[in-house]
Parts: sequence; C-alpha cells; structure tokens
Amino acid sequence: MLALWQIAMRFGHPDFLLSPSEIARHFVEALWSGELLPHVGASLARSLPGFVVGSLIGVVLGLLAGVARNLDQLLSPVVFLTYPVPKIVFLPIVMLWVGIGDMSKIVVITLACFYPCFINAYYGARGTSTIMVWSGLNMGARRSQTFRKIVVPSALPLVFAGLRVSLALSFILLFSTEMINARSGLGFLIRQSESSLRFDLMYVAIVAVAALGYAGDQLLLLVRRRVLAWQDAASR
Amino acid sequence: MRALWSGPAVAVRRVALLGVGLIAWETAARSGWFSPLIVPSVTRIGYQLWLLATQPDSLVDAWYSLARALGGFALAAVVGVALGVLMGRSTLVAASLGPFFSGTYPIPKIALFPIFIYLFGIGSLSKVLLIFLECLYPIVITTQAGGRAVNRVLVWSAANMGASRARILRSVVIPATAPFIFAGFRIALPIAMIVVIITEMISSADGLGYLVMYSLASFKTDRMLAVVVVIALMGVALDRLVVRVRDRFVSWERLDSYYVD
Repeated sequence: MLALWQIAMRFGHPDFLLSPSEIARHFVEALWSGELLPHVGASLARSLPGFVVGSLIGVVLGLLAGVARNLDQLLSPVVFLTYPVPKIVFLPIVMLWVGIGDMSKIVVITLACFYPCFINAYYGARGTSTIMVWSGLNMGARRSQTFRKIVVPSALPLVFAGLRVSLALSFILLFSTEMINARSGLGFLIRQSESSLRFDLMYVAIVAVAALGYAGDQLLLLVRRRVLAWQDAASR
Repeated sequence: MRALWSGPAVAVRRVALLGVGLIAWETAARSGWFSPLIVPSVTRIGYQLWLLATQPDSLVDAWYSLARALGGFALAAVVGVALGVLMGRSTLVAASLGPFFSGTYPIPKIALFPIFIYLFGIGSLSKVLLIFLECLYPIVITTQAGGRAVNRVLVWSAANMGASRARILRSVVIPATAPFIFAGFRIALPIAMIVVIITEMISSADGLGYLVMYSLASFKTDRMLAVVVVIALMGVALDRLVVRVRDRFVSWERLDSYYVD
C-alpha cells in the first residue's frame, strides 16, 4: 500500500498530500531540529497521568464492586447508565471548574479511562469461579487472601482488555482536547501546522500520533504477556 | 436485605438518589459560594432544556449531529459486517486484510481529521467519513471473531443437506454471528457519538458539539449544560435502541445483564 501511495504521488498531487518518502524525510528532520519532541512530551504529560489515575480507580472500584454487594448496588447503576455518554462533552464543564490548562484535559482523560476499566474489572471479578472461592475459604484463606489470590488473578485477563480500550480512548481524547484548545502537544501541532499550511509538519505530527498509539498498545500487550504468562501456557 | 433491594424498591432508591443529587446541586448553585457562571442552577438548566426542545434552530443542530453519527455508523455497519464475515469465513481474506486491521487498530484515527478536511471539505462529509473509519474497526474485529466461531457442525450439516454457499451464509453464518455483530455495534455507536461531538467541537458551524462550544464561548453555561444533557440522553437512547434491536434479532439468546436493571 505504501508503494502504491508513493507511485500515485509521482503523477502530480495537491499540496496537502505528501508521498511516504517525503513524510519520512520530514519526520527525521523534525526529530533532529527539536520541533517534535517538546510536543510529544507535553502530550504524554497529559495522557499518562489521566490514563494511570483513571484506569487505577476504575480497576480498583470495579474489582470491589464485583465482590461487594453494597458497593455494587451503589456504583454500578450510575456507571452503567452514564457509560454510553460521550465523555468529551464534559470538557467544557471541566474547563469551567478547573481552568483551561492541562488539568481539564487530564480530568477528562481520567474520566474516560475509568469506564472501560471499571466495567471489565467488574465482570472479571464477578466471573470468578465460585468453586475456587469456596475451596479457598474452605482451606482457611481469609477474605483478603481470597480476594488477592483468587479474584484478582482470575479477573486479570478482562482487566487487561479494559486497559487496552482505555489506552486507545486516552489517546483519542488527548488529541481531540489538544485540537480543541491547547498551546502545546501533538494535537495542537497538527492544528497549528494545518492552519499555517505547514503540511510537512502536520504529517510528521500525525505519524508521531500513530507511532505513540501503536507503541503504547504494544507495550501494554508486552506487559500482558508477562503478567498473564500462566494463561497462555494453560490455553495452549 | 436482598428482597429490600430488588423490585420497585430499587427504582425508588434510584429516583431518590437522583433527587438528592439535583437538590444538592440546586443548593450549591443558590448558596452564593459559586458564580452562577460556574454552577448554574438546575432550574435555569431546565429552562434552557425547555428552550432547546421547543426552538426549531436547536432541533436542527440535534438533527445534524444525529444524522452525521448515524450516517457514519450505518456505513461502517454495512462495510464492517461484510468485511468481518468475509475475514471470519475465508482464511485468504483474513490473511490479506487481518494484519492491516490489527496494525492500524491502536492508532487514533482522529489525528487524520485535518487531512480529511482538506480531502472532503469542512462540511458533513469529512465528519461522516471519520466516524465511518473509527466505527469500522470494532465492528470488523468483533464480526470476524464471531464468523470464526461459527459451529462447524452446523455449517457441515447445512452443506450436507444440499444448501448452497449463499444459503449457508444467509441461514447459518449470519445468524450465528449476529450476537458478535451486535456486540460490535454497541462498542461502535458510542464511538460514533464521541467522534461526531469532537469533530463538531473542532470545526463546525452546526451540530450539538458546535452548540456546546458556542454556548461556552458566549458564557451561557446554563445553555451549555443543557446541551450536554441532551447529548448524554442521546447517547443513552441510542445504546438502548441497539439493545432493543439486538433482542429482536437475537431472540434465542438474552443479553446477560450488561446493564444492571
């Protein structure tokens, strides 16, 4: 496909389309000139805290709601009802409350990352085999031990599925919040270079976005393989 | 304890919880601690909601958002189910398209929006196509998983009883894949809503996303919150609709309580 694209670009093209080789050249240039890296840093400084905090709260509350009936009845209806609401609409409200800076973006990303993690951890914990829990209790495990040694490991595969969705969502929200209002970051870079007709820089930023999304996903899969090595071994 | 929570008591408690939340909000708004710009009172938001529901202008905005979201979603549904079933049933198609889909899956497609604006103009087309692209992935991936999981014995028996390939596809493969297809739809529809609102916030002169940003920029936060409520209700309603349609088509298998109610 890349080859086709390159060949198609040989026969003249409008300014806003670049051939892959040109994009690659500009990418290396931007990397060396330092035009790109500060924006990458700014984006990561927004998305990582949001992702970590949001998914951590989501996983912990989801697991607890999966095992504790009181918490389940308190939290789950609210979470499941507000789940299909597009979280980006809260950006303006959050902007009003905590200001237009990085904090509003982090809060929205946190909020968006919370949901998939909560739901997956919840079903993961609820799907724990009752026989395992019973045998654990029967053999004298305390409740906290049962939770740590039985519920958490059996929920982990779903937790990772939730983390993967959250990570993708955090990137989507990061770039859209940055496109809407920001003074730095890759989303801002895309918008700014687009409006100043620097198409080379725009493509560089898009490639960087794609690379970040891909790298994040691969990293998560790597961690998953590490942590869930027993599952792959068992399913083989 | 269990009996107390089930049945109508749950509904009563939920309404009570909602009521308490609204009253707390209203008290906070009227306490004078916050500027009415930051925390507008519930009554003012309600009034703006009433205006939104009765003014033709805002109905047009809601219609634009809905049409874009559903247009992109419908396109993705048709293409995605076709591709997914093909990829699920044919190893050749799966081998040629699979790497492409799994490789580009984690890339946030929203980054392509500026290019889409240049390619397809700043109007609805660029938004609909971006929604199509974002919705396509979950639908293709879940449909493919479903197509692969079709019980072989069913396909073999149908073939044995003389069904043609088209007939097997229509009467065996598609129904067996349907639960997966609808699972994909349920992931994709909220994404369609997110993307339509985002793209309208970034660049648009109509639609609910634009209305949110416009109300904020003109310091009408009560109006902004009313629009947010409308968007939220639309998201929930569309999701309910998918569940309804799913229960219609997949009548033999109830959805296990993805929703607690």
